[in-house]
Parts: sequence; C-alpha cells; structure tokens
Amino acid sequence: MSSLELYSPTDLNDALRFLEHDGKNAAVIASGTDLLPRMRRRQISPSILVDISSFTEDLRYIRQSDGTIRLGALTTVTDLLETPMFYGKLSIIREAATLFGAPQVRNVATVGGNICSAASSEDMIPVFMALDAKLKLASARGERTVPLKDFVVGKRQTAMKPVEILTEVSFSPPQGHSWTAYEKLGRRNMLILAMVNEALSLALEDDLQTIHSARLALNRVSGKIPALAVKTSNFLEGKRVTDQTIAEAQKVLASELSLTSDFRGSGEYRTEVAQVYLRRLVERCTRQIGGPS
Amino acid sequence: MAKRAITINVNGTEHPVQVDAPDRLIDALRDQLDLRSVKEGCSTGDCGICAVLVDGELVNSCLMLAAQCDGRRVTTLEGLLEDQTMKRMQGSFIANNAAQCGFCTPAMLMASWDLARHSAEPSSEEIKVAISGILCRCTGYYQIIDSIREGCEKGGR
Repeated sequence: MSSLELYSPTDLNDALRFLEHDGKNAAVIASGTDLLPRMRRRQISPSILVDISSFTEDLRYIRQSDGTIRLGALTTVTDLLETPMFYGKLSIIREAATLFGAPQVRNVATVGGNICSAASSEDMIPVFMALDAKLKLASARGERTVPLKDFVVGKRQTAMKPVEILTEVSFSPPQGHSWTAYEKLGRRNMLILAMVNEALSLALEDDLQTIHSARLALNRVSGKIPALAVKTSNFLEGKRVTDQTIAEAQKVLASELSLTSDFRGSGEYRTEVAQVYLRRLVERCTRQIGGPS
Repeated sequence: MAKRAITINVNGTEHPVQVDAPDRLIDALRDQLDLRSVKEGCSTGDCGICAVLVDGELVNSCLMLAAQCDGRRVTTLEGLLEDQTMKRMQGSFIANNAAQCGFCTPAMLMASWDLARHSAEPSSEEIKVAISGILCRCTGYYQIIDSIREGCEKGGR
C-alpha cells in the first residue's frame, strides 16, 4: 500500500467529478470493512482511494414515501437493526442484519458497500434481490437506476462504471398476504461469511392457500454470483402450498443450481442446504401469513 | 507522498497527527499516540482485538483509515480507566479469572463497557452477541461471559 493516495472530496459532486477526470485506478471507500482487508491481501491495489464516508448527511437515511422505501448507500447495518420499519413483513432485513458480521463491523459497514462488494457471501444482496430492489447510480453526467438483479455480473464484478457511485437502494414493501424470510449458513453463527444464504419474498392469494408470487434469491445460483432463482420462483407461482409443492420446488431448485466447490463447502452440500432452506423459508412465510402449515 | 495533518480527539484530548494515506486508525493510536491497549491481531476484521469507540460506537481500528477519523472522537481503554463502569468491569474480570493470556482483554473490556452502557442486566445471549466480534485465542469465553454479567450494573446479584 506504499504508493497509495487518498482523496477526501468535499461533497458527492466533488467525488463524482474526481472520478470522471482523475479516477483511473481509483477505488471508492465508505467504511472500508471489506476494501481494506482486500487491499491488505493484495487482492486489489488501487492507487487512490476516494473517501465518501463523511457524506452521512446526504447518503445515510431510511425513508418511506409513496409506497417506496429508500435507503441511502451509507446507511449502516446497525441503522437497519435500529429501524422499527424492519419488523413484521420486512423482518428479512433485520434477520440478515442480525447475522451480519459482528457489532463493531455492523456499526460502520454500509448497505451500499455490501452491495458494491458483490461477493457471493454478501448478506444483503439476496435480501434486496428478493425485495426486487433498485439501485441509483450517480455520475458526473447524471443518474441512472438499475435493478439489483442485473447489477452483479461476475465474481466481485458489477454493472457499475468506474465513474459511478451507488447512492441509494430502493424497494416497495411486499403487498397483500405476504411475508419475507432469510436463512444463512456459515461455519459458526457470528462473524462468518455465508456458505449459503437464501432469501424469499412470498405472497399468497386471498384464499391463503395459493402462491400469488414468489421471489427466491441465493448467494449463488450459477457459478459464484448472487442471483434470483427464477425457475424455482416461477414454479412456485400459482401452486397451492402443500408438502408436495415444496418437495417438487426443491427438485426444481436442485436442477436450477449449478454450484461449484470451494474451501467453504462442496457444491453438493450447498445444493442440499439450499433445498432445506427453501422448505424452511416457504413454511416460515406461510405460517406468518396465516396460510396452511 | 505528502503527509496529511489531521486532528483526532482521543480520550478527551485533541491530538494533531500527521498521517500517510494508508495509515489506519490503529497505526495512529499505537505508533503516534502510544496507546498500547489497542492490539493488532489479524488486521482484517476477523479477531476484533483492536476495538475502540469512534464517536461512541465500537469499531475495529484496523478497518478504518486514520484520515477518516479527522475531527472525530476516539475512546480507548486508557481513556476509561477512571470510569466507574469500567472499574467495576475490570474488577469482575479479575475476580473471575477472565484474562488468560490477556491479548483480547482490552477489546473485551471495551465491548463489555459498551454493552453495560446500554443494558444494566444483559442476558447471556446479549453478552455473547456483544463480544461475538472478538476472538479469545485462549477460548476462555465462559469466564469472560460470567465477568460481563457480574460487571453490569444489576448483574452482580
């Protein structure tokens, strides 16, 4: 890290201008809980860091208006835990935040940073995918919005351009007879990266028997990138919630997943766990909604 | 590469320090301000023994750049030695033999103090969560958990 430089912009526009003109081999740093260890392991070696951590007035907020919940990119994981909004139907966010790192990491780690890190162990990506979240990306030339489901394009690679900064995550809370749930497996309960994490947003029809909509997301679906399990989600829609439906959906999920092995676990084991979690998630959501159990 | 002049309020005193871009908070605290209760373990956020308070929140000082703390308030164990809650917690650690090698003890005390501020009578589960980011390399967790329970205001009954 000897030749590293640091730029502390005065505001977001200054940061964006800097990236536009001098951003070659720059990295944006928020809390640094992921970036600094990766630099230390020499997995990345930016020549300049652009520090946006002080923009909390502009980028650290949780707001709800017009049926949309908006999280500023610098919202910390502890902020998520302290928000009454994330009980009930949106408890998926609380569940994931509870299992995220440890207190001294949660106190600084940001929602935006977790998403931009784009590893297959990030806790928040499957959660926000299940919620069909959208990301606001700013650059000196303007803003654009991309769906999170299209954001992660490869291992640690995103659709974000080097001149852009993620400023906001937004989503609509689930409507109707709906619930959300999250499961995570690591080698221990706390301060661990996920081997498997899986998030579901489920809505039932008025009969409380039939699945109206399902969005299932995992940290890995094919290869090492988080994604929606589209086939499994589609399979569930329109089906009655029965043991048989869940068993069939587990098979669909197993065929949809194409997982490789690494030091955290084998592809076979991950697939097995993902199927078990699918049952748990469907059953937990259904029970909360008041459907068949 | 030019050094950057910043000011960090450490344990109640404003300290002007000169830092390089890659310097982390732990580097400024240990090497420039000689605060050796802040230990360096894994340097990657996995062991938590560098924990300090920044603006009142527990953080790993190895995962924060010193320059990011310009104008902020940092508290280390040295700054809490006269604090009544900390004194009670330290006494409890001593009484329960909670320090074996002692390497994690300052961070455990910081996390305990942070917990004690928020909860007078924490459950075992709350205590475990509070110290979940700190690795005791001797694995003496039960003594530590007992110490924290007794060190909290209403836990000693």
